[in-house]
Amino acid sequence: MRNAGGYAYTFDVGGIRQEADTFTCAHCNRVVIVKPKCDPCDLGGMCRLCDKMICPTCVDLGRCDPIEKKLEREEARYRALRSYGLC
Amino acid sequence: MAKYAITNGSTSGGGTQQSMTTTYVGALIGLASSTSTPRRIKVYDVLIGTNGTPADNFIEWDISRITQSSTSTVLASQPLDPADATALTVTTVNSSTHGTITSGSNVFYVGVNQRASYRWVAAPGGELVAPATSSAGFQLRTRSGGYTGTATGTLHFEEQ
Repeated sequence: MRNAGGYAYTFDVGGIRQEADTFTCAHCNRVVIVKPKCDPCDLGGMCRLCDKMICPTCVDLGRCDPIEKKLEREEARYRALRSYGLC
Repeated sequence: MAKYAITNGSTSGGGTQQSMTTTYVGALIGLASSTSTPRRIKVYDVLIGTNGTPADNFIEWDISRITQSSTSTVLASQPLDPADATALTVTTVNSSTHGTITSGSNVFYVGVNQRASYRWVAAPGGELVAPATSSAGFQLRTRSGGYTGTATGTLHFEEQ
């Protein structure tokens, strides 16, 4: 996979038994393991709005809500509640 | 952006490793933002395995988001660069009960044979990220239909 978002190794008594590329869903942050020679349709897809790889669950949702935006929303809510002394 | 390591195999002050059951009960490792000075947590390296008698069983590993940490054994994470300051993130290990898990928020899930060890490394930008809000973070949990021994885990993370 080009520009993989990560890499996974399985070891057993014989050493490295299996290796696989992974990518991290740009919408929900889930790690998706790219199995060798798997059908690209099973992996998820590319979001045309944020131009990042996303997992099958997020493909089905059909909207672009990047993880960075979600984090910013949560942090803004936290800062607001904190400023009001509510947390 | 200091980097830290935490493992549930520490011999001093790390509590007792918990036996595995068929459901997610405890948590091997938990990371939670500080309640007073929260920082973003970025997990970029996960190493998992078992330290029981070898046998062929499946083990499911899960990292989920939490909004509240476990109450048991808090163990300080180690800075990878000794020049870095102590982490602000609260790290818990070998918890018999897990914290408050956000429903449907598992960001890492893999099934591994008990005899195998597994490592996942994120490329820059592919980390698991928790928001800089009070007590938000991740927990590494495990369950197995056949294995009832203990397991080991190591997480490397970055504070931002």
